[in-house]
Amino acid sequence: MNSLTPTQRDRGLERLRRLTVGATAGALVAVVGVGYVAAASYAGKSSATASATAANTTTSTTTSTDSSSSSTDSSNSLQQAPQVPTTGSSGSGTVTSGGS
Amino acid sequence: MALAVKSWKALGTSVHVLATDAGELVTATTAVSEVLDEVDIAYSRFRDDSELSRLNAGPGRPVRVSPLLAMAIDAAQRAARLTDGAVDPTIGHAIRVAGYDDDFSRVADRGRPVNLRAWRVPGWQAIRFDRRSRTVLVPAGVELDLGSTGKALAADLAARAALAAAGAGGVLVGLGGDIATAGTPPSGGWRIHIAEDSRVAPDADGEVICVPAGGVATSSTTVRRWTRGTAVLHHIIDPQTSLPATGPFRTVTVVAATCLDANIASTAAIVRGEAAIDWLLSWRLPARLVENDGTIHYIGRWPDPSGVAAGATPYSGTRPAVRGWSASFSSPASLCWALCQRCAGRPLPGRGSSPPVCTATWRWRPSFSSRFTS
Repeated sequence: MNSLTPTQRDRGLERLRRLTVGATAGALVAVVGVGYVAAASYAGKSSATASATAANTTTSTTTSTDSSSSSTDSSNSLQQAPQVPTTGSSGSGTVTSGGS
Repeated sequence: MALAVKSWKALGTSVHVLATDAGELVTATTAVSEVLDEVDIAYSRFRDDSELSRLNAGPGRPVRVSPLLAMAIDAAQRAARLTDGAVDPTIGHAIRVAGYDDDFSRVADRGRPVNLRAWRVPGWQAIRFDRRSRTVLVPAGVELDLGSTGKALAADLAARAALAAAGAGGVLVGLGGDIATAGTPPSGGWRIHIAEDSRVAPDADGEVICVPAGGVATSSTTVRRWTRGTAVLHHIIDPQTSLPATGPFRTVTVVAATCLDANIASTAAIVRGEAAIDWLLSWRLPARLVENDGTIHYIGRWPDPSGVAAGATPYSGTRPAVRGWSASFSSPASLCWALCQRCAGRPLPGRGSSPPVCTATWRWRPSFSSRFTS
């Protein structure tokens, strides 16, 4: 078995240290990169948007007029109705939504 | 609260105006009529003297258009952008070649075979439109058709104008099944009967939802159909093929903040086909999708149909509480491609945006999807 000289040993240790640092840095970059891609991939909304939506949901009818007038202002997304629809029953004043 | 109702025909379809204040119905209907007249002269595809027809007839040069046509073009481009081209205003030539070349009441039910080729429409990016100067340049060979978004935009504008004219209360405008609301709704919300055909009587058996505000739109391949030779055609064109869409859903209804947004989503869902469910979920829009075999899917926060109107046929079936999501890819390369597409803000699977050598499938399982069989 070959014995290493102190110089060879120091050189080997230095190489090992560089490899360790490099691997750590690479892993860090990979984690950040994958995290960024994963965040961008998830089809969600920013918390600000979500808060605004939640606020709209609890606002009364004054919001409805505002939202109906913003059809072309909110150009970057399809806007949800300020309040969710509920189940109803047929009666006077019912209109049909269907293909035409 | 008794609602006042007035109905008539305009733009080749039915118009319904409902007002919570009966005394303001005449004022509201007058305002709606004026808006629809302006829409007709601005962007009707079936009037030679409309601004849109003149624009299509003189391509290749910049034209300054009216504020209304500019708004309609802007809305159409926004629709195309938000749907990754699934709703595209440059289908004018394709729909005319398919046989829908006149007001639908004058389109022959049956006719000789037509020679249809699968080709991609020029695409909304081909239109040069400057919003500030209201200048638009339609290149040669491109024909604009604003029918998809135009009717819904008209409903929104009409509802807004009616409310402004009435001054108070609430107004609903139904334009060929596209419904826009404005102002204070009646107690419990506006009652909307959901059907595949807008000509179905509102008191017929079926599902009724209550909408406090916003818009409702239904797109369907079961109406505006015609036959050429042995081919049955309809009016919802897939911009990727220039042919009538052939996806698994025949009717889609969406509730959104405006009738325009609801219509964009419902039309895109028909064109996108199977990918529509994931796409609609990503926008968090309540929707009802009817498959070609009659199976109905409810997604988003669409109301539970188990409490539908008395006398309606009850739905049977299971509610598979599927939660979470999964994705599968045919290769690492397709995974990378899919992630790049998502980073670029393009929903998956994007029709026509598939890479040439690999296909990626991106399957989000709906979080609160319900499946019923009619």
